[in-house]
Amino acid sequence: MIRGGRNYVSSPPVFSNDSKRLLVCAGNSVAVFSTDTGLQVASLDGHAALVTAVIVVPASTPGSKILCFCWTASLDGTIRYWDFAVPEMIRSVGIKLPVHSMVIPSLFNHLVEKSEKAVKSFAYICVEAKEEAEDRAKGLFQVRKCNLTDARLVGGAVLAEMKKPEIITMSSCGQLLGVRRKRKLDIWKVPSTDSGRAVLKKITLHHTKALTVIAFHPTERILAAGDATGRIMIWRGFGNKTFAMANGHVNGSSMITDEENPGVRGSDDAESCTTWHWHPAQVNLLSFSSDGAYLLSGGKEGVLVVWQVDTGKKKFLPRIGSPLLHFTDSPDPSFSSISCADNQIHLVRRPSMEILKSISGIKLPYSHPEISKGMSSGVSFDQNAGLVALRTESYAVQLYSLFDDRGISEVQVYERNHQPVDEVTIVVTSVVLSLDGSMLCTSEVKLPEDGLGHLVCLKFWFSKSKAGDFSLSTIVYEPHRDAGISAIVFHPNRRMAVSSSFGGDFKIWTSNSGAPMKEESQPNSGWICHAVGSYKKKPMTAAAFSPDGSVLAVAAETVITLWDPDKNLLVAVIGEAITPIVALSFVGNSDHLVSASWGSKPQLAVWSLLNLSTCWSYRLHVEAIASSPDSSSFAALVLISESGGVYDPNEKSHKTVDGLILLFNSAEPNPVAVWSVKKAKGGALAFIRNQSSDEESSSDQQQAAQTLLAYMNADHEYVLFDPHGTEAEELSVTRWKSQSSPEESGQVGYASLYGELLPPIPSRKHTPWSVPSFPTERPWETIFSGPSHNLPPLTLLCGPFLEALFEKRTAVEE
Amino acid sequence: MVSTNIRDLLTAFSPSLDYFAISSGDGRVKIWDTLKGQVQTEFADIASTDVSLLSKAERGHLSVDYTCMKWISLDRKKKRKLGSSLLVLGTGSGDVLALDVAAGQPKWIVSDCHPGGATSISFSASESSVYTAGADGMVCKIDPQTGNLLGKFKASSKAISSMCVSPDGKILATAASQLKTFNCSDHRKIQKFSGHPGSVRCMIFTDDGKYILSASGERYVALWRTGSGKKQSVCVFAMEHPAVYLHAKCFEKGEADDNDGLYVLAISETGICYTWCGQNVEELRTAKPTKVSLSYDDKKHRGAHPAIFAAQLQVIPKPTSANVYLAYGLLVKPSFQKVLVEAGNDVELSSFQDGVLFPASQSIKSKKGMDRVSTVTALDRANVEDALLPVPKVSDVHYVQMEASELLHFPFHLLKPFAYADDMVDVETPTTSMETRLRQLRILPNDGDIIKPVIESLTSKGIQLEDNFPQKKIRASVLSMEPSNGYKLLETLVSIWQSRSHSGKSVLAWISWILVIHGHYIVAQEKSEKTQLLSTLLKTTKSREVAVQPLLQLSGRLQLVTAQFDKDSLKNNHVASPDDQVEDEDDDDDEDVDERIYGQEDDGSDLSSDDEK
Repeated sequence: MIRGGRNYVSSPPVFSNDSKRLLVCAGNSVAVFSTDTGLQVASLDGHAALVTAVIVVPASTPGSKILCFCWTASLDGTIRYWDFAVPEMIRSVGIKLPVHSMVIPSLFNHLVEKSEKAVKSFAYICVEAKEEAEDRAKGLFQVRKCNLTDARLVGGAVLAEMKKPEIITMSSCGQLLGVRRKRKLDIWKVPSTDSGRAVLKKITLHHTKALTVIAFHPTERILAAGDATGRIMIWRGFGNKTFAMANGHVNGSSMITDEENPGVRGSDDAESCTTWHWHPAQVNLLSFSSDGAYLLSGGKEGVLVVWQVDTGKKKFLPRIGSPLLHFTDSPDPSFSSISCADNQIHLVRRPSMEILKSISGIKLPYSHPEISKGMSSGVSFDQNAGLVALRTESYAVQLYSLFDDRGISEVQVYERNHQPVDEVTIVVTSVVLSLDGSMLCTSEVKLPEDGLGHLVCLKFWFSKSKAGDFSLSTIVYEPHRDAGISAIVFHPNRRMAVSSSFGGDFKIWTSNSGAPMKEESQPNSGWICHAVGSYKKKPMTAAAFSPDGSVLAVAAETVITLWDPDKNLLVAVIGEAITPIVALSFVGNSDHLVSASWGSKPQLAVWSLLNLSTCWSYRLHVEAIASSPDSSSFAALVLISESGGVYDPNEKSHKTVDGLILLFNSAEPNPVAVWSVKKAKGGALAFIRNQSSDEESSSDQQQAAQTLLAYMNADHEYVLFDPHGTEAEELSVTRWKSQSSPEESGQVGYASLYGELLPPIPSRKHTPWSVPSFPTERPWETIFSGPSHNLPPLTLLCGPFLEALFEKRTAVEE
Repeated sequence: MVSTNIRDLLTAFSPSLDYFAISSGDGRVKIWDTLKGQVQTEFADIASTDVSLLSKAERGHLSVDYTCMKWISLDRKKKRKLGSSLLVLGTGSGDVLALDVAAGQPKWIVSDCHPGGATSISFSASESSVYTAGADGMVCKIDPQTGNLLGKFKASSKAISSMCVSPDGKILATAASQLKTFNCSDHRKIQKFSGHPGSVRCMIFTDDGKYILSASGERYVALWRTGSGKKQSVCVFAMEHPAVYLHAKCFEKGEADDNDGLYVLAISETGICYTWCGQNVEELRTAKPTKVSLSYDDKKHRGAHPAIFAAQLQVIPKPTSANVYLAYGLLVKPSFQKVLVEAGNDVELSSFQDGVLFPASQSIKSKKGMDRVSTVTALDRANVEDALLPVPKVSDVHYVQMEASELLHFPFHLLKPFAYADDMVDVETPTTSMETRLRQLRILPNDGDIIKPVIESLTSKGIQLEDNFPQKKIRASVLSMEPSNGYKLLETLVSIWQSRSHSGKSVLAWISWILVIHGHYIVAQEKSEKTQLLSTLLKTTKSREVAVQPLLQLSGRLQLVTAQFDKDSLKNNHVASPDDQVEDEDDDDDEDVDERIYGQEDDGSDLSSDDEK
C-alpha cells in the first residue's frame, strides 16, 4: 500500500536545532526533510489523523543542539513525543479530544528549565470540546491547559472558548500566549513557574476588522496583528499595567483611557497602536526577525514584505507566485522557510532573500467557479506509468508520480502568469491523459466579462522525449461553438479522441489520421476533426471508448448511443436512465457498460451490450468510476450523504466519513469489497498497473498484485492498494467501523453493509427496452431503434418510413 | 574533449532507480533526479570538509579524485525511501566514504583504508556489508551503518583492479589480470581464472551467483563459471570497443529447467550498449549482440558526443526482450529513459539537446515558445469542415447498424419490394456518361492522352486554354504568331475541340481569332496543301448546331415541369432548378451536350418518381 500526496502546508513547519532538518506536518505523519538537499530523510508515522502541530524541543545549551526531540499534536486526540533522528516514538499522551493547535511555553523558558529538572511541562492546546452534548451541537472549541508530564488535562482551566479552531501564538521566550477571536485578541501571560493551579492573567485588545494572524516581538512588548483587509496593527507596550502588577491587584487598571495612548481602542491595555497598510488582501503570515528589528508579512498576493519595525520602511521578495501561508525562522539566522498555498515550502536565505531550495508536494485543489455540471474532477491517471495529471491554480497541469510521491513536471496550459489576487478569468476545466500517457488533452474556459468574451478552448499536447514532457500540438477554439465540453476521452490505442459537449454534439478528433500510437516514424501532425455526431440534439454528457476501441459510447442525457468511431455510424441506442448520465465506462474484458447519473434520482447502472439492456442498477450517487483494464471488475466511489441518507449516523466519530469505494464484478450486483473513505466529494479512482511488482521480480517473496486501485480524495491525498489483497484492511483513510475496533475496518461483508445501505432500487431485471413507436416529427430517428421482435407490424412501419425518406431529402437539399 | 570517453566516468543508479549519481573525475558528484531530468544536488568538497575536521588543510574538491562509486540500499526490503540508501565512494588517496544522499551529509569516512587508492566497492545485500578493495591488494569489509571496519584480508600481492561479491555474500572475486575467488567466511582461495591479458576494469556476479562476468581493456566480455573446475572462460562476448560497464540479470524460462536464462548487458567505451541473451551458456555463446546506440549529428556536436553512461536491466517479460533503463546523452544533461530491447532489433535513440545551455526550466520555456510558432495547429470555429457527418440516410444507418451490431434483425428485405414497386430509382447505380461509354467502346477516339502533351506545349508557348482568358490577350498572342505557327495551332485546336478535351468556349475563342487574323494564310495553305481543315471545322460546327435547338427546347420544358412541381408540392420539396445550368449552356457554344442531357434526364426521372408518389 502506497500513500502520498500529502499537504505540507497545513501547519507551520519547524526547524531542528541544528537547522539541518525541517519537520513538516504532512497528513497523518510528520515528514523530516533535509535542508541541504530538499529531500525527505525520515517520517514520523503513528498518528491516526491529521497532525496539527509539531514543536521541536529547543536546545538550551550549544552542546545539546544535536538532540532531536519533538512533540506532535494531532486531531486523533493524542500528543506524542518523538526522537526524530532515529526516528521513533517515545511517549504518547492521550487526551481524547482533537487538538487543533498546541504550544508548550515551558520548553522555551530556559532559565526555569535549567534550575529544576523535575518541573512539570504544560501544553496549551486548542481542542474541540466534546464531552457535553450541548457543546458539540454548537461546535465549540476551547483553549485548555494540559499537563504533559501526567498526561491529563488540567481540570477547570478553560482559558477561552470560540466557534472556530484558532492557532495559539506564543512569544519566542514562552511568556505570552495569544489567540485571536474574530475582532479581539486575548493575551495571557504565562507565569514563570507554571503549575496546574496557576492563574493566567489576561488582557484583550480590540480591532474593527477580523484579525487573521498575530506575532509577538522577541524582546520588547510589541505585538503585531494582521487583519482580513490587509492592515497590520502594531501595539506597543501592551499589558504594561496588567502584567506588571503583582498578584491580586486587579482593580484600577481599567477604565482610564489616557490621552497619550494614540490609536488604542477603548480600555485596551496598550501604550500605542500604529497601522501599516500595504497588503491588498488578507495578511496570512507575520513574523518578527530574531533580533526584533524587522517584521515579515505576507498574504494572498504572494509577496513577502520585510518591514523595519522602527521606521516602517519596506523591502519586498516578490514573485513567489502563490499565496503565502506560514513563515518559520530557523535557529541558524541565515535561512528560514516560507510555506505557500501551492503546497511548496521554500527555503530562503535570509539577508539576500533568495530561494535556495523548494520542497514541493502535490498541487492542492483550489476553488474555482464551477463551469460544467458534469463529472470532470480535473484528475486523470496514466495507468501504465502510474502518473496523475492535476490542474493547478496557475493554469498549469502538474504530472505527479504516484509511486515516487513526487512531481515530475508541469505543463503550462494557458500562457499567463497567475496572480493570486486577480479575479479568476480562465478556468482549466478538464485534463485527460491518453492510456499510454503519450498524449494529453486539456480544455479551458475563458469566463465572460460583462457577458462578452466567453471562449472555450481545447488543446492537444504530445509527449516528446520522456514521460511528462508535453508540448502543444493543436489548439481548437470553440470546439463546440459556444457550448461547454462535458467529457473528453482518448482512443485506447490510436491517435483519436472524442470530445462531447452540452451543445448536443460530439466530435471525433484525429491526428495522423488516427494512426496507431506505436508508429513513431510519423511526425506529430496536428489534430483535425474527423467526425461530428449528434443524437436528437440532446446534450452529450459523457463518453467512453471500449477497451479495443471499436465502439464509442456517448451518453445523450439519459440514453446511451453506441457509435462506430471510424465511419461515424450510429450502431445502437441503449435505453433510458432516469436522470442524465454524467459518466460512462466500459468494464474491462466483459461486455458491460457502467453509467452513473446524478440529479434528484442518482443512479449507478450496468448495461449489457449483448442484449442492449440494463443488467442491474442502484440508487447511488457515484462520484467516480474506474474500470479494471484486464478483468471484469470495476470500482465506484459513492457519496454516502447524497445517496439518500444511507449511513446510520449513530456513531458520531464518523461524520467525516462521507464516501464508500465499492468494488463490483460487473455481472453481479453484490460488491466484492467495500472500503469507506473520507473527503470523497471531488475524489477520483483509477486502476494502476503495479510497477513495484516488476522491479523486484525474483527476490520478491509474495506475488505482488498486477493492478492496484488508486484513490485520490478531495485534498489530493492518495492511496494505492491492492483491491483483492488483505492489506487494504489497514487503510486508515477508511476507518469504516471506528477507532474502537480498528481491526474490523476495511472490508466489511456486504451482507451487513447491505442492511445499512439499503437504498438500492431492487435491481431491476430488465426486459429489453421497448421501442417508442409514437410519431415524432423525425420518425426516421426512432422508428427502427430497438430489437426486431419489438418492432410494430410492417404495415405500420412502412408509411412513416417512406415519409421519412421524403422528408430527409428536403432536409439535405436545404 | 572531442570524443567522449566514458571510461573514467563513475556512475550509479539509486536502488529504486529514481536518482542517478555521476562523477566525472573532478571531485564532484552530481545527483540527477531521473523522473524530472533535473539536478537534485551536487556534492563538492565532501571529503575535504571532513578532512578539515581532522585538522588537515582545506584541499578543495579538485584534489579529491574518486575512483569508484556504488549506491547501496541498507534495507533488506526494497523500499522507495531514499533515507535508507547510501552512496559509497572510494578515493584515489585510499579513503572510503559513505554519503547519505537524502540528508546531504557524509555518513561515515574510513580514512586511509587502502593506501595507494581504493579501486573497487561491492555490496552484499544478504550480509549487509560493504567490501572494498584497493591498490594494496587488501579487501576490507565495512559495516554500512556505522563505517566500522569488520574485517580485512590480503587477497593479492599485487594491486586489485576490480572486486565483487556474490549476491548471497558467500563468494568474493578479485581481479588484477587474474581472477580469483575467495570464500568470504574464511578468506580461503577457491578458484583461479586466467585469460585476461590486462587488468580487469569491471566485474560482476550474476544474480544466481553461478557466473562471473568480467571485462578488461580488450574488446570482449568474458563469462566464467564459479564452482566448476574449469579455469577457462565459459563464453566470450565480442564487442567493437572495450566494455566499461556490465550488468546481468537472470530470468526464469520455465518450470522444467532449474538453470535460469541469462541476459547480459555491457556498455563500451564509446557509449554503445550491447545486450546478449540466452537460455543457457550454449545459446549465449552463439548469441548475437543487440545494440542500443545514440544517433547524433556530427555538425551539431562539435564538443562531446552523446553516449550511454549507464544502464540497468529491469524486467525481462519475455526471454527475448528486456526493459532497460538507460542514462544517456551529454554529461552536462543526461536523459533517462526506459527502453524495451528486443533481441535482434537494434535500437537507436535520438539524443536531445534540450537544456544543454540553459537551466532546465528556462529551456523548457523557450522551447515552448518556439513550438508555438512552428508546429502548433490552431483550429477555429469552423473546425468541422472536413469532418464526417453522421450518415443522413435512414435506411443506410439502420442497414449498417444491423450489420455492425448484428443485434437488430430488421426485416429489411421486406421493405425493398415496396420501394421498387414505387418505381424508385436505384440511386446507388453509378451514372456513367454516354461519352465515357463511347470511349470505352472505342467509338469516340480515346485521344485525351495524346492531346495532353500538345496542350502542355501550348501552355509553354503562352497559350492558355482557360475559360476566363481575356479576349485581348488572345488577340495579342495570335497577332504575335507567325502565320505558319498559327495554322499549326489551329490544327491542334480543332482536334482538341473535336475530342472535347477542353471546354468549347475557350477553344472557340482561339479558333475565331486565328481565323480572323491569319485567315489569308490559312486559305492559301488550304489550297496549296489540299488539307481539309476548314471543312472539318465547318462540319463539326454544323453538327453541334443541330444539337443546340432540341437542348434549348428540353430545358424550357424542364423549367415548366419544375414550376408545376413547385406549385403542386405540399412541402415545397423543390429540387435545385436547372436554370443556371441552362444559362451556362446558352452561352457555352454547344459543348458537353451529351453530359448535360444525361444530368437532366436523371433529375427528371427522380422528380417524376417523387411526383407519382
